[in-house]
Amino acid sequence: MDKKRAEAAQGRTRRAPQPVWDGFVRLFHWGLVASIAVAAVTGFLLGPSFIPVHVVAASLAVALVLARIIWGFAGGGYARFAGFVAGPGRLLRYARDVLARREARHVGHNPLGGAMVLALMAAVLVAGLTGWAFLGAGAKLGPFAFVLAFAASPVLAELHEAVAFAILALVALHVAGVVFTSRREGENLVRAMVTGEKEVGPQDIVPPQREPRTGAALGVGLALALVLGAAIAAPVFLPVPGAPVAEIDPTVRAECTDCHMFYHPSLLPAGDWRRIMATLDDHYGEDASLDADTAAEITAWLTAHAAESADTRASKVFRLDPAGGVTRITETPFWKARHAGIGDAAFRSAEVGSRANCAACHADAESGWFNPFFAEIEG
Amino acid sequence: MHENLRRLTLIGALAVLTGWPAAAGDTSARQLIAQFAAEAGTQPSAARGKALFMGTHTGGKPETPSCTTCHTRNLKAAGQTRAGKAIEPMAPSVNPARYTDSAKVAKWFRRNCKSVLGRECTAAEKADILAWLSGL
Ligand code: HEC
Ligand code: HEC
Ligand code: HEC
Repeated sequence: MDKKRAEAAQGRTRRAPQPVWDGFVRLFHWGLVASIAVAAVTGFLLGPSFIPVHVVAASLAVALVLARIIWGFAGGGYARFAGFVAGPGRLLRYARDVLARREARHVGHNPLGGAMVLALMAAVLVAGLTGWAFLGAGAKLGPFAFVLAFAASPVLAELHEAVAFAILALVALHVAGVVFTSRREGENLVRAMVTGEKEVGPQDIVPPQREPRTGAALGVGLALALVLGAAIAAPVFLPVPGAPVAEIDPTVRAECTDCHMFYHPSLLPAGDWRRIMATLDDHYGEDASLDADTAAEITAWLTAHAAESADTRASKVFRLDPAGGVTRITETPFWKARHAGIGDAAFRSAEVGSRANCAACHADAESGWFNPFFAEIEG
Repeated sequence: MHENLRRLTLIGALAVLTGWPAAAGDTSARQLIAQFAAEAGTQPSAARGKALFMGTHTGGKPETPSCTTCHTRNLKAAGQTRAGKAIEPMAPSVNPARYTDSAKVAKWFRRNCKSVLGRECTAAEKADILAWLSGL
């Protein structure tokens, strides 16, 4: 048998299995596997409508990593960073020993495994950071909504994707390392991460045993969760720069919602509004004329809060061009691309009725936000 | 205080005298029909109004050949605009707020007649249509 041979090769005798990976470490490990798997599938393979699932799964991964970091200072001996984090010197020596097939067996993480733990956790944190930065710039969600402009979102998207690829590479390397060490030591390390038990021999290196400080860890974790929760929810309660105007002029709402939903002024630039307001007597196949005073009042308000005044995605992507045949939002390239997957039947259904009835699918349409989280196909 | 009160009373009296503002509930279908009929010098006819409302026309915008394009043929039920928004029923028996705001009636006659007929409705036509609609 493989195991016998390995033991013979290393001149070891094994004792009965002992608890090594505590409950939290195992929960962390498999929780991270699941959340990264969901985040990877939704992020790499599925469309923008899975962004909400992606954000939830990825944020769960970040939360697990943060909890693991706390546990790295408060947990028992095997869980503590002090027990498995090696400096560059030790790392190099250990790598050389592995190549020479004379490495000592570590019951906890060996120095290379420990470095992988740190690298993976750091990569998940950076991915979370760039992900929330992208959400902050692009969708004005989370704490970065206050500091990042929409213009930063393409760069952040690239960065986020690069980090995500790095995580995939690290995961592949990690799995390869686990398979390698399992074979070298003749012990199924995957099963050990499930049962939590590993065999401990007399020559094995065991980290100093420490009493876990569960209460302190929970306290710090709870405080951190509150701070991060508040930071993520902050844009809901505090004014965000570049937010679409929230207070809607009552005259505009009264005069412009008899025939359709309220189109937020931030969807179109001032020039487009001026042209729409100047041609109300021939308004998309209907007469929507108003008396001159009311029309002037509405034009003033629409142009004051037009796309130029906002910093949202929806304020950047829709530009009409009557000369080029683009007279409606639904004829713009961005709109057509983002709604290409929706069948004609959905738009003609009783609940929707028209492509221009954005509010039927976008719960936040009349606020101007068009947050992808609130987009749902009706009908 | 007294001064303000007196001024308010004055403004109120003026508003009533000049019919300002033409706010919701300033009129009734009967009043409107009488007004339009007097202006046209004709007797209002519900039958002519019905024919006009239910008929198909060619003078207006191609998207709206008939009043029923939006209001549908069942005026006791909600209609739908071309953009998918519901229009409250037109029959006062189910929607008593109908034809009680002179500015609203004027605005929509102007718009809808231009959309469907390509011109404004005459006072006689407005009297006819309201004579029919108000009896529903
Ligand atoms: C008499 C009915 C009516 C009124 C009143 C009206 N609209 Fe419209 N509007 C329409 C119709 C019909 C469309 C085309 C909708 C469709 O294609 O489904 C439209 C479309 C639009 C669009 C383009 C939507 C798109 O898909 O790009 C904008 C913008 C718009 N209206 C603004 C306004 C504003 C501003 C007012 C108030 C001054 C107003 N509308 C009042 C009937 C009306
Ligand atoms: C039939 C339902 C439906 C209608 C009607 C509709 N949308 Fe959408 N829209 C969606 C869905 C679903 C998505 C997400 C699509 C995807 O997966 O990329 C979306 C995506 C978007 C996005 C991208 C959001 C982002 O940041 O990723 C914008 C902006 C948008 N829609 C604007 C509009 C506007 C403006 C209108 C009306 C003129 C409209 N939509 C009408 C269903 C609809
Ligand atoms: C393009 C859609 C459309 C067409 C076609 C249309 N209407 Fe309307 N009509 C509306 C809308 C929208 C309203 C305002 C919403 C409401 O009052 O519930 C309205 C309101 C009215 C009102 C005002 C009702 C009131 O409460 O004061 C009258 C009168 C009216 N329409 C008559 C007509 C007549 C007559 C025609 C045909 C010549 C016609 N409509 C064709 C959409 C339409």
